[in-house]
Amino acid sequence: MKTTPVYPFTAIVGQEKMKLALILNIINPGLSGILIRGEKGTAKSTAVRALAAILPEIEVFEDDYFQLDPDEETDVYLEIARSLGRPAENEGEIPRTMKRRVRVVELPVGATEDRVVGTLDLEHALKKGEKRVEPGLLAAAHRGILYVDEVNLLDDHVVDVLLDSAAMGVNTIEREGVSFSHPARFTLVGTMNPEEGELRPQLLDRFGLCVNIEGIHSADERVAVMERRGAFDEDPEKFVRQWQAESRDLAERIQKASRLYPQVTVEKPMLYEIAQYCLDVGVDGHRGDIIILKAAKTLAAYEGRSEVASGDIRTAAELALPHRVRRQPLMDIADNVAAVREKAVQTG
Amino acid sequence: MYRNLYPFSAIVGQEELKQALLLNAVNPAIGGVLVRGEKGTAKSTAARALAELLPRINIVEGCPFSCDPDHPDEACDNCRRAVSPLPRDRRQARVVTLPLNATEDRVSGGVDFTLAIQEGRRALQPGLLAAANRGILYVDEVNLLDDHIVDIILDAAASGENIIEREGISFSHPARFILVGTMNPEEGELRPQLLDRFGLCVETAGAADAETRVALMERHQAFDADPSAFIQNWKKANQRVALQIQTGRERLPLVRMPRHLRSFITELCAESNVAGHRADLIMEQTARALAALNAAPEVTTAHISEIAPMVLMHRRREAQPPPPRPEEKEQEEEQQEPEQEEEDQQPSEAPEPPESEGEAEQAAGESPEEDQEPEPADESEKPAEQAPPRPEDENGEQLFQVGDTFRVKPITAAKDRVFRRGSGRRSRTRVSQKQGRYVKSCLTPRHGDIALDATLRAAAPYQKQRGPANGLCVNLSKDDVRGKIREKRIGNFLLFAVDASGSMGARGRMAASKGAIMSLLLDAYQKRDKVGMISFRRGEATVNLPPSTSVDLASKLLEEMPVGGRTPLSAGLAKSFEQVRNILLKDPSARPIVILITDGKSNVAMGDQKPVDEALRLAGAMGGDERIRYIVVDTEAPGLVTFELAGRLAAALGAQYFKIDDLKAQTLIDIVKGQNP
Repeated sequence: MKTTPVYPFTAIVGQEKMKLALILNIINPGLSGILIRGEKGTAKSTAVRALAAILPEIEVFEDDYFQLDPDEETDVYLEIARSLGRPAENEGEIPRTMKRRVRVVELPVGATEDRVVGTLDLEHALKKGEKRVEPGLLAAAHRGILYVDEVNLLDDHVVDVLLDSAAMGVNTIEREGVSFSHPARFTLVGTMNPEEGELRPQLLDRFGLCVNIEGIHSADERVAVMERRGAFDEDPEKFVRQWQAESRDLAERIQKASRLYPQVTVEKPMLYEIAQYCLDVGVDGHRGDIIILKAAKTLAAYEGRSEVASGDIRTAAELALPHRVRRQPLMDIADNVAAVREKAVQTG
Repeated sequence: MYRNLYPFSAIVGQEELKQALLLNAVNPAIGGVLVRGEKGTAKSTAARALAELLPRINIVEGCPFSCDPDHPDEACDNCRRAVSPLPRDRRQARVVTLPLNATEDRVSGGVDFTLAIQEGRRALQPGLLAAANRGILYVDEVNLLDDHIVDIILDAAASGENIIEREGISFSHPARFILVGTMNPEEGELRPQLLDRFGLCVETAGAADAETRVALMERHQAFDADPSAFIQNWKKANQRVALQIQTGRERLPLVRMPRHLRSFITELCAESNVAGHRADLIMEQTARALAALNAAPEVTTAHISEIAPMVLMHRRREAQPPPPRPEEKEQEEEQQEPEQEEEDQQPSEAPEPPESEGEAEQAAGESPEEDQEPEPADESEKPAEQAPPRPEDENGEQLFQVGDTFRVKPITAAKDRVFRRGSGRRSRTRVSQKQGRYVKSCLTPRHGDIALDATLRAAAPYQKQRGPANGLCVNLSKDDVRGKIREKRIGNFLLFAVDASGSMGARGRMAASKGAIMSLLLDAYQKRDKVGMISFRRGEATVNLPPSTSVDLASKLLEEMPVGGRTPLSAGLAKSFEQVRNILLKDPSARPIVILITDGKSNVAMGDQKPVDEALRLAGAMGGDERIRYIVVDTEAPGLVTFELAGRLAAALGAQYFKIDDLKAQTLIDIVKGQNP
């Protein structure tokens, strides 16, 4: 499995908005995910799968299914270890840690609720006669990326469960005789084809950013797509090697940006600009404001600046607001937020 | 488990929400709060942050039900049997989260599997209701909670006690908790009984001024940058609030309630037309809590007026706040006037003044000629009515705008025991595939869908006798095997049969009808239904939209649907039946719903019968198929003289009958009354 080469992220032609949104989410997981809406064959899934190669490394405990953060969650780790019946070898000793790439966990459309949230461990129950939890996909996705292909086709009750944990950052299991909870903060990445039906508003709002993508219209780029794809199919390993340098550059740039992010500052007038933007366009609640702020800061960090500029806010709003613009029921999701704003301001 | 909770006192704005939570913390007798509001308005944040501020309570040490040592009469079975004095302990009241994935055994409690196997005795593993006793039971997205879980909670909340009678266990323990729920109304409404259980209800909305929004962003940024420092900064403020709650609780029993204010409360409740007496009681409790919180010696009118909106919001029955549409009233008044005219005109045009009752009798017995009566009246109406609206094209067709939309009453097919497959949100059904929510276990597993937990619980008490088997710790016998019963909601197929004849164009009727259809479509969208649309006019019925999941397309087609010509009602009926029958051929377990929107004034027949007769005869035949549900929406304008033809049609079809206005769900209030025909 692991040896199958993945089409490199940097080799994707066009779709700059989508790539930018994904990169921003890697730099700052606090952006809480991205929804990619688009037609068939627009590199949606390719891009998400390709992320794996450029994701940064994080520190985790050894053999820890929950990928807890040794810096902040040591107590949780010990607590969970105890409740799972494997206390740390010596109480008080700090468990071993290791570095590992952030994971992309895929949630298939047919997933059942018990596999998503976790359930009773069958083997343990039969062999040892004890109940113990078998953690699900949400546990595996903690501090990583939870990728749902065709998110609009996901079963409704699975969506409910997903909403529940995405909102709280904690997954609480109260089922089949098991009572257990563990942290589950993940970046939700969903792709969907709007022709197949829309998402529920509540779930829509959980995605920090949203991009609409379509097929490329310029003939040159279309040719480039075909050429690269041809080269990749012919000799995947060689193709990946060719792009390795660029992938490494991007990974480095991302890491630099994540280090810079905490130092990025925002002037007060910029905050007013964000608030005014949201008021002009008309969004529900305050999540839009907060996401624009975060995205603008991340954008500044990505470009190596330590101060947010007006342009960052405009770009961030394009990514953060399309699915938040208050609309009539059954209306399409806005493609161009700036245009919506202009119209709203004109009509007063 | 929740790390770095955002401090309660640092929440910007949302004063009403914060106050409602504080009042509940001071006086648990209020019975909880329901927070309704759009996304991203600090609903969940506030509810979870409250946990930090709850006062400490006395409990019996080691009791999983947090019994009160000072009130042994309210204790659980264990504490009641134990010898007094009971060991005492003191700890903060808890906030227990009820996740959406909860199964029945964890909510109310069930056999403790480990104990049963290892020691061979049946012991109770207390559930969430036990943990929530004397604390807060918090449900995020409470409107998405499964109905059977809601039933358990309602039962416990009503009696203050959780009685477990399952898996060979018989036990009861107190379960008095404050129910705190958050919901986004976009995702559907709450069940009326559950709604009434919440003492208070507040609505939240985003702030409309830039100042507040900026303040909010600044705080959020500070919190993100360094959560622990942020919490430290707000610790003082939080402590002040906690102290306020603590002293409020102590002061609560001392707050006086002047007698004359009780009548003020009753008056307020009577004015809002609330059902039952819960509102009165809760209003008094809430007013006392507010007085205690404000350190006032007795309740004043100001206190009551301040909290009355929260108490009455979800219980008021007549005047409903959202969404206020002043124009609607005017329209109604306008409609009323022409009605009078019509009345004056009609007797002169129609030979007999057709009264509704008389009509019905005629239909039952007399000759067909008289049945035709409405037709000339219908024709004569037309020229007068068609004059004012939009320009017509040469075919006499008109296009009407879509009228106001509204929220529609719940339309569901009854839940049955047929197992079927599908996806959607309207009707609940048992499902045969291994998907859907695991609801409970049963004795015979179907499709190899074994409920492991229930199987193990069933086998557990016998393990001592049976002894170990093939290296496994648990020895299962065939009788232990339990199956899962899963449940999920599936969408229905809704077929809209729309009368687009000239008579529908009269006096904004089509606009209103389009509004009604659009509302139904929106409802269908929320419930993930399949929809189809048929329109009939000018002697024929056409399928505008074959069965599809694209509600968008249906709404576009609806906007473009022209109106004009005569009414081939029977053709429309026949076409609808054809469509539905095709669906049933493909999926015999489907339960399609046909929504017929017409005034019933048929004037084109397919055969040589009188049009109205033919339609009624056809309707009678179609009504015979029990798998299809019909709903007739009568678009006839209200007035003293009506033909009630649509009503007769509905009777023949065995359909539910609505006037357009009847269809409106009128916010929560009707739901509370439970008038779901």
